[in-house]
Amino acid sequence: MIQPQTYLNVADNSGARELMCIRIIGASNRRYAHIGDVIVAVIKEAIPNTPLERSEVIRAVIVRTCKELKRNNGTIIRYDDNAAVVIDQEGNPKGTRVFGAIPRELRQLNFTKIVSLAPEVL
Amino acid sequence: MLTTLRSRCSSLLLNQSWKLAPNRIFASSPSFSSSAGISNVSEILTLPEVEKILADVKADNVTVIPTHNHCFWADFTVIATGRSDWHLRNIAQALVYRAKQKQKGAKHVMLPSVQGYNSKWIVIDYGKFVVHALDEKARGYFNLESLWSAESSGTDTSDQDLQNVFVKVRPKNNSKRKPAKVSS
Repeated sequence: MIQPQTYLNVADNSGARELMCIRIIGASNRRYAHIGDVIVAVIKEAIPNTPLERSEVIRAVIVRTCKELKRNNGTIIRYDDNAAVVIDQEGNPKGTRVFGAIPRELRQLNFTKIVSLAPEVL
Repeated sequence: MLTTLRSRCSSLLLNQSWKLAPNRIFASSPSFSSSAGISNVSEILTLPEVEKILADVKADNVTVIPTHNHCFWADFTVIATGRSDWHLRNIAQALVYRAKQKQKGAKHVMLPSVQGYNSKWIVIDYGKFVVHALDEKARGYFNLESLWSAESSGTDTSDQDLQNVFVKVRPKNNSKRKPAKVSS
């Protein structure tokens, strides 16, 4: 469950390293964001000499949460970190690779581009 | 036209569950095969038909990569290059139109999911295989072929190891948990 002021790791190679959520895109007063939701975040840490800089406001898709993700067959997926992938306004990922495990629900939520770049889809 | 089609695709794809190959962590549940008609959106078109459609719309540099060994969510990945934004949209429209034509007269029309219709990277998701239509610059930028080829897996591991070091794992606070009270 991600809310404003939550810090997230970055799961791609776009240059950002740590994000802080400032808004959840969706209804006018959404309280929490889960895997597959788009958030507005600010970059708190960035790798030097990359296209993204610190204090930039970006959009990101949440791909991993510490809060467990329940499936219809009773299984639960829970990760050790909260991670997001930086996207632009059109939905394209900013980085060229996605690191770590990605849940397969992102494909049903029409994020096949992120699923295509990920090495492991659980 | 395609906006209505895309919203219908999204509502169709969200309702049905994906019949994917079982991954190596969870045990595979027995899948119930439906007796009548097409049960999956990937059975609408086959791979030679997609290659013929891409040849008809003159897509450049069509590459078919078998990815059933690397990732378990798609058997084949087709990467095509378009020359302009309108060419990318024509590739996507031709693939959706062909799937629509094959199911003319059917009671339930299942269409593939088109993502990123107005951008330089369009993904047409058939379930068992995925067609990526990219601009020439986007194809060089994302470099999807090296993801699934075995030559560059050595150099990619060092980048992944570097990124794994950077991922901060949240420390678990076990002191908040109260010890289990022994009753009586």
